Amino acid sequence: MARTDAKKDVVIVGLGWTGAIMGMELAQEGLEILALERGPNRETVPEMRYPNMIDELSQGERHNMMLRPAQSTVTIRRNLNETALPMRKWGSFLLGNGVGGSGVHWNGQNWRPQPIEMQLRSHIRDTWGEEIIPEDMTIGDYPVTYDELEPYFDRFERVAGITGAAGNINGEVQEGGNPFEGWRSGDYPMPPLPVTYNGIKFAEAARAMGYHPFLRPGGNASTSYVNEYGMQMGACNFCGFCERYGCYQYSKSSPQTTILAALFRKPNFSYRTGAEVLRVEMAADGQTATGVTYFDEEAGEEVFQPADIVILAAYQIENVRLMLLSGIGTPYDPVSGQGVTGKNYGYQITGSTSMFFRDEHFNPFIGSGINGVCIDDFGMSANDFGALGFIGGAYISSAQTNGQPIRSMPLPQDTPAWGAEWKSGIAEWYGHQMSIGHHGSVMSYRGHYCDLDPTYRDRHGRPLMRITFDWHPNELRMNAYLKEKIEEIARSMQPDVMQSSYKDYNSRYDVRPYQTTHNTGGTIMGATPETGAVNRYLQAWDKHNVFVTGAGAFVQNTQYNPTGLVGGLAYWAVDAIRRQYLRNPGPLA
Amino acid sequence: MIFLRILAAFVLMGIMALVAIIWLPVSRSPLSESVPADWTASPGEGEYVMRAGDCMACHTAENGPDFAGGRAIESPLGTIYTANITPDPETGIGSWTLPQFRAAMIDGLRPDGAHLYPAMPYENYRMLTERDIRALYSYFMDEVEPVNSPVPEPELPLPFNQRWGIRVLNWAILSHDNGFDGTMGDPVLDRGQYLVEGPGHCAACHSPRTVYMGQDGIAAGEPDFLTGGFIAGQEAPPLRGQGSRIRHWPIQELTTFLATGRNFESTANGEMGLVVDHSLQHLTDDDIIAIARFLRAADRLQHEAPEEAVATGPLSIPYAQANAEGADTARMLTGAQPDMPLGARLYLDNCAQCHFVTGRGSPGIFPALQGNSLVTSSEIAPLVSIILQGARVEGTEKRPMPLVMQGYKDRLDDAEIAELASFLRQAWGNAAEPVTEAEVAEIRQSGEAIGH
Amino acid sequence: MTFPPEAPLFPPASRARRQFLQVSAASLAMVGLSAPFPAMAQADLPPLEDYAPEFFTPGEWAFVLAAVARLIPSEGAGPGAIEARVPVFIDRQLDGNFGQASDWYMAGPHQADAAPEFGWQTPLSPAEVYRAAIPVFDDWCRDTLGAPFAGLETEAQDEALTRLEAEEVPLAPEIRDFFKILLANTKEGYFSDPIHGGNHGMAAWVHIGFPGARAHYLDWVGQHNVRYPLGPVSISGERA
Repeated sequence: MARTDAKKDVVIVGLGWTGAIMGMELAQEGLEILALERGPNRETVPEMRYPNMIDELSQGERHNMMLRPAQSTVTIRRNLNETALPMRKWGSFLLGNGVGGSGVHWNGQNWRPQPIEMQLRSHIRDTWGEEIIPEDMTIGDYPVTYDELEPYFDRFERVAGITGAAGNINGEVQEGGNPFEGWRSGDYPMPPLPVTYNGIKFAEAARAMGYHPFLRPGGNASTSYVNEYGMQMGACNFCGFCERYGCYQYSKSSPQTTILAALFRKPNFSYRTGAEVLRVEMAADGQTATGVTYFDEEAGEEVFQPADIVILAAYQIENVRLMLLSGIGTPYDPVSGQGVTGKNYGYQITGSTSMFFRDEHFNPFIGSGINGVCIDDFGMSANDFGALGFIGGAYISSAQTNGQPIRSMPLPQDTPAWGAEWKSGIAEWYGHQMSIGHHGSVMSYRGHYCDLDPTYRDRHGRPLMRITFDWHPNELRMNAYLKEKIEEIARSMQPDVMQSSYKDYNSRYDVRPYQTTHNTGGTIMGATPETGAVNRYLQAWDKHNVFVTGAGAFVQNTQYNPTGLVGGLAYWAVDAIRRQYLRNPGPLA
Repeated sequence: MIFLRILAAFVLMGIMALVAIIWLPVSRSPLSESVPADWTASPGEGEYVMRAGDCMACHTAENGPDFAGGRAIESPLGTIYTANITPDPETGIGSWTLPQFRAAMIDGLRPDGAHLYPAMPYENYRMLTERDIRALYSYFMDEVEPVNSPVPEPELPLPFNQRWGIRVLNWAILSHDNGFDGTMGDPVLDRGQYLVEGPGHCAACHSPRTVYMGQDGIAAGEPDFLTGGFIAGQEAPPLRGQGSRIRHWPIQELTTFLATGRNFESTANGEMGLVVDHSLQHLTDDDIIAIARFLRAADRLQHEAPEEAVATGPLSIPYAQANAEGADTARMLTGAQPDMPLGARLYLDNCAQCHFVTGRGSPGIFPALQGNSLVTSSEIAPLVSIILQGARVEGTEKRPMPLVMQGYKDRLDDAEIAELASFLRQAWGNAAEPVTEAEVAEIRQSGEAIGH
Repeated sequence: MTFPPEAPLFPPASRARRQFLQVSAASLAMVGLSAPFPAMAQADLPPLEDYAPEFFTPGEWAFVLAAVARLIPSEGAGPGAIEARVPVFIDRQLDGNFGQASDWYMAGPHQADAAPEFGWQTPLSPAEVYRAAIPVFDDWCRDTLGAPFAGLETEAQDEALTRLEAEEVPLAPEIRDFFKILLANTKEGYFSDPIHGGNHGMAAWVHIGFPGARAHYLDWVGQHNVRYPLGPVSISGERA
């Protein structure tokens, strides 16, 4: 029934950002590598080609670039007492699919964490004392520091072609950059993009209040770019179709534009699409993995793919599920607090204030995925957790990423949702609105975790991932604080109409409105097998030839979009594999 | 016109031939250098000569096995099919001896004494060294997989199907000695000269043709050498002399173009795309630099070597601002006024995303349309075909990403494409004749006929 | 290789004669993206009253025509849902993947009365929701207002929709979100690219000033507080 294919040195599960990075770096070692991708192949042309790609209904509304929930989804509950129900269609987050993974449909917003976010528990203990940490908050220290990761953040930014203005080069604050960012060894590889009117208005207002505005960094090219692999990007034209879309003009940082064509030239690398990995197979002694079993869509059969090294490079949710399905690490138990696999599921919290200016023109369809101005004056390193009564931080920004009218039609609250007044309202207000929002951290908690759903199964009969998550008072307090700060800036801009959209203290997690696809944790790093599912090199503590990449490694979520840390950790881990593991396979920590 | 001129030439040659063919035996050229009998090529040497000679582009059919021939070569005179040059004894060249192989390469002769059609650039390969010929022979005999695959007979009308006529032609075009002697006075420039004149057979496309269909300028020093020609309905732009755009390229842009098929303002499309894909990208950096230096020296330009043939990333290259010639067009497009001409509107709606209002593209990735010979050529088919069907620049070792433009045949009708193409040919200081709807229709139909 | 098999040695007689090399049409066809744009220009479409629905029954069709005409009415500036051919859009959507929920996870058990924050939990597909809900709502209109929805005066239709939106029309949990779905689909049909059957002539985009699929604004990023002047282009290349 099941086919067994010839053994490979390395099998990679998932061909998104980290699968591509791992594949490229290990292919340079001459290893025989196979990557298995459950979704379809995707190339700039034809799959993302203009003009067909920029169809708001198909991509924005119907999620054609995403994993089909029919193939696999998650179940959600807010606490241990609820019955989790499946996310039958995407809402709160959108799981990617296919070659390039989420690196195809992201906006490109790329940040590094702040140094203190990596050693958060120690930082709090040393500054305010551990007693300010709520009893159910399970934050910790990453078993790797910002300083150790800096060269790997830098490497990822140069591979991915990130634009931006440095705020701190080797400890020296740079004019025009983010003065709150961690030190960087050099400037961004590309200068920042220009910014639309909303960004300038926000920057002026923020500066007038003593804040430190800067242009958002990210993976939308501002010039032509060539990276170390010879891969190329062309300058972004602000088409206004970034997130949920593949970039038709080679301007967005993605595995396709920065790694894959170079990787595909390597004779020792190959990949399969329509190959959904079902589980990792273990040696009889349970100490190592022997390969993976996947479902070959084309052949309609299960295939055992033997390999010396297994790299789980799927999205966070699927990585956790594969670990649980395969018995890697001890499943986390939220009651006893024992176990690690599935622990510390994290997310992010957002809110925004909308401003309407009747006589001003914003041309909202002019946008890029990263377009906007940010301030980090309320970020982790700036906040006095002891005085504020919450642990966390956020950057505040005015973005303008798209004016696609089905989803981006903000109207004053007193406008009816339909009828003649709605019709006149859309003409009156489209193009006369801007917003300021925050993008905030979410800490880890004892009751927020991932495990296997007892009821709902995928088409292969495997349990779906169950997520238990809700808003915690700590984050809701931070959210209220940020609302106050944002509204203060917004009021100073004297809009004709101003309205806010923030969670209140009664808000429960709602799967319907899109928020962010920044799901983290579950395969967390730890300095010991008791505190993490993987060690500081993303190596499974109990199966030394299994490595697990991605945001699942986040001990707690940061205040930023996760890709910069995900990319940095991937280069950090693969460097350890190249330097140490290949020479001497065994536990690296 | 051209057809009649060629026909007249053939008739004239035919009369001469009637006399000459009877009296003069077929001859093979003498050795141009002595090579020890026990000389053998070093590993990879023969394959490298094959790459330098770009044998694969012509001798491999679309989606066909390597070197099994069968690619149709169309000319106004009819269609011929390239030979199977795999070592298959029945349908390929497996039974050929080295002298027979050599005669094909430099004298255009088959083992049976019949003449090869001059689509085979033996006029240029005639300059191959004896060592390279032997290395190439070993490569085809020992390293290429035999493929049993017969090739169709040529589809040529009288008198062009008479191979003996070629014999007369060859008296005209094979008057130069075989073998190579560098004339540049510098070993690197001589190496570049050899690659360009001999295996690279650049003159086959980039030199004009004489009325006898020979290349008008096959070697440095001849006045029309590489001053521009036509191939496959595409203009092969001048590589030297008046009107040569590459004269103005920094030398590293030239080497980058040769090695990767793309540079700060141009991409290699059509036949040149094949040359980069099958040949140039496989050459060493030293050889690419030697070619570039020779081309510049042959045009009496400075020819210092660049630091590297292709710059290594990371590189951030700002896009070009509108220049003086392009300023008016760029300003009009930037204005985005609803009353702009239709061609300009179509440009904004379809092209400006990548080629920008400046018409200068994004360096290294999207080519400039301003001053682009493919846009302004008297041959409009390449431009119109690219608008209809799109284009693809293959990835190369140093720039691995394929650059693909989607086609617009479903989005634009013939009248719109005529408006758009005419706009491109007259924008940013371009000054070429407009394109008509009927011409677009003809190109669209010929494209559909071959399955696009 | 993606090149047509030719390489003539000689300049062709006609400058329009020869084909050039291209992206292979086969590679587009392989990924199922080669469907041609609608051959018929939008202006040539048959009138809405002559449209033969693929999904809706005549009674349902009458309801949809009447309902979307109130959700986005024709009076005032800009197109109404009828002028935008929103009913055609909805019919095509319900007849396709969306209507059948074929991309969604629809396995049981279902808990249709779950808290709204759990999202779509009805066992019904969108098409089934329309099919089940329209007669229930029409019955309610008949009982409460004296006629099925399509037969009511416009003021009564507005009242009926207002009460449907306010959840004052008793609906089983399986179809409780009917109004939300109908309104969302109506706006989708109004604002989506005309290739999907609605937004006829891109009039909804013109109405708000959205330039559609032009996708080139680099030169306008720095033109602050200046209204972008150029009308839209659609995926199939229509201009307005």
